[in-house]
This record gives sequence, C-alpha cells and structure tokens, in this order.
Amino acid sequence: MEAFFTYILRWPIVENYFTANVWAWPLNEIAHFIGLSLLIGTVGMYDLRLLGFAKDMPVACLRQLLPWGVFGFILVTVTGLMFTTGIYYNIAVEPGEVLISDGFLQLKLIFYFLAGINLFAFYRTGMSRAVGDLGPGEDAPPLAKTLAGASLFFWIAVMYFGRLIPFGQLHL
Amino acid sequence: MGILEFLETNSLSIWLNESPSIFAYPTLLALHTFGMAFLVGTSTAIALRMLGFVPGMPLAPLGKFFPIMWLGFSISVVSGTLLLILQARNFLAMPAFYIKLLAIAVAVRSMRLLWARVFSDRVSAGTGLVPREAQVLAGAVLISWVVAITAGRVTAYIPSQGLKTAVAVLISTLVLIGGGHIAVRLWRSTKWAQQGGAPTSTH
Repeated sequence: MEAFFTYILRWPIVENYFTANVWAWPLNEIAHFIGLSLLIGTVGMYDLRLLGFAKDMPVACLRQLLPWGVFGFILVTVTGLMFTTGIYYNIAVEPGEVLISDGFLQLKLIFYFLAGINLFAFYRTGMSRAVGDLGPGEDAPPLAKTLAGASLFFWIAVMYFGRLIPFGQLHL
Repeated sequence: MGILEFLETNSLSIWLNESPSIFAYPTLLALHTFGMAFLVGTSTAIALRMLGFVPGMPLAPLGKFFPIMWLGFSISVVSGTLLLILQARNFLAMPAFYIKLLAIAVAVRSMRLLWARVFSDRVSAGTGLVPREAQVLAGAVLISWVVAITAGRVTAYIPSQGLKTAVAVLISTLVLIGGGHIAVRLWRSTKWAQQGGAPTSTH
C-alpha cells in the first residue's frame, strides 16, 4: 500500500513529461492561472450576486456561466495534481515529503476541501434550487448568502495559501 | 547611484525582498494573483457574454461588475509596481515584460471601449446580441489575457524556454478551442437526436 502511494505520488508519467519538455512546467503554470481566473471570475460573480451585489441580475443568467467555472476547476485540479506528482522535476524532493512538510500546501488543501463541502451543502440544503429562479431585485435566503460568503472566503484562502506553497514552512 | 538601483536598494525594497515574513514578498505575490483573478475572471465573463454565450443575460446588471474588474486591476497595478521595483533591472531588460505590459494595455483599452459602446448607454443596455465591434473587442480582451499571463509567467524562465512555452500555449489554446467546438457540436447533435432530429428552422 505504501509502495503504491510512493509510486503514484511521484508518478513517472508526469515527471517524465516535465523532464522531456522544457516548456511543460511553465505551460502547466499558465494553465493553472487561466483556470484560476475562470473559476474565481464566474464563481465570484455568482457568489456576489447571492450576497446582494448587482441584484437586478437574474441568478439563472450567472448560473449559465458556471460551466466555464467548472472548466476552470478541471484545469486547476489537473494542473495542480501534475505540479504535485511531478514536483521532483522542479525541486528534487519527494512529493510525499512535500505533502507532510509544507504547511501552506496543507492549508490550501484544507480550504479546497472546505470549499467542496460548502458546495455540497449548497445543493444538499436546497439553496441551489431556492436561488435558481431568483429574478431581478430578488433577495437570496440568509442561508444561501452565508454559503456564498463562505465560498468566496474559501476560494480566496485557497489562492492565498496556494501562492505561498513555494515558500514552504511557516514564518510568521 | 542610478534610479533603478535606488528602487531596488531602498529600505522598503530590501524588507520586501529579504524578510522571511510571509507578509512580505509572498503576500505581495499572492495579492498580484488575487488582482489577476478578479481582473481576468470578471472581464472574461463579460467578454463571453459579448461573444454570444448566455445571450439572455441583461447587460445593465452585468455592467455593475465593471468596478469589481477595476478593483482587481488596481490591486494588480499596485502589487505589480512593487514587484517590479524589487527587481527593476531584471524585469526592464526582458522583452517578455514589455509584451506583458502591451497585452494588458490592449485588454484594458478594449474593456474601456466596451464600456463606452455597450454598457454606458443605460437605454440600450438590455438583452440580446451586441454590435460586431463589441465582439471584436471581446475577442481582443480574451487573446490579450492569454498573452499577458503567458508573457508574465515566462519572465521567470530563460528566453529560449519562454519562446517554446509561448508556442506550447498557442498550440494548446487552438486544440482546446477546436476540441471544445467539436464537443459542443456533438453534444448538441445527440441532444437533437434524442428529441427526434435536428431542428430545421435554424437553416
């Protein structure tokens, strides 16, 4: 089991792809940034509308933009996993070691999962359906506002700690 | 002592460069990322609406997101200026850095023109298609952001690596756009097939 994790964390396919192509690592970073912008842009606008910003915008219209956010989410997740599994190419450290020693990476992953749980709660509590047909000028329920605010906070935290990952250990 | 050297060696720059605190250089980098996310993300959403995605979205409330975009822009400019000062001699010697600035200028100018042509007019800011000119501006915005992000990122690499990366970005973008186009067409045709044939009224 441990051997499997050691293998899959430092996945040779990904590491070889980075080693064989000098453009691969920067391309991965650029795709990560583009994905992040798509995700934060569309989800951020949706959350802001639920919080009461630009209230004459029907929520259904912003929801139609969310597939672009999902595309951004797929981009950041795939490229993020590639950074992790291919990290040895970049700094010659085992991915498993980075995962247990880099506090910022751990904080990022915690907020990433919190954002996921938040999204799950948004559907599970029926808030997703409740806001689906909010027309111009209509207010979202308090619970939907809370979840939208939490979503904004969690994603910003993911970005913040994500950018700190290269700086490794905490120095407050 | 030259001005560039002074910019790099004053006490603020030295603190930002050398402090082990995460609130110095790392937070400056993170702020630059936040700014980019809100600037690029919001303007991309607006550009997609211009290009015909979500045609039912009313333009007047969409215009209210312009300040969010400008807030992102301000954060990017302030954090970016500080990041430039820290390594002024390094960045100002790189062609990629000027390409980045030029791309940002094109995107920002296009967004300002879009505001003037489409959004500032409260009467016509309804739903439906926008003028051809607005679609061209929106296309310019999207292309500029890919160029700006690419040029900005490759400043961390040697020029030959940066060039190869730019080619890789170009090819990946074309493949994604082409692939996405085909995927959407296939998805639509299967949906029509389930509903009993493609609608003929659109031809």
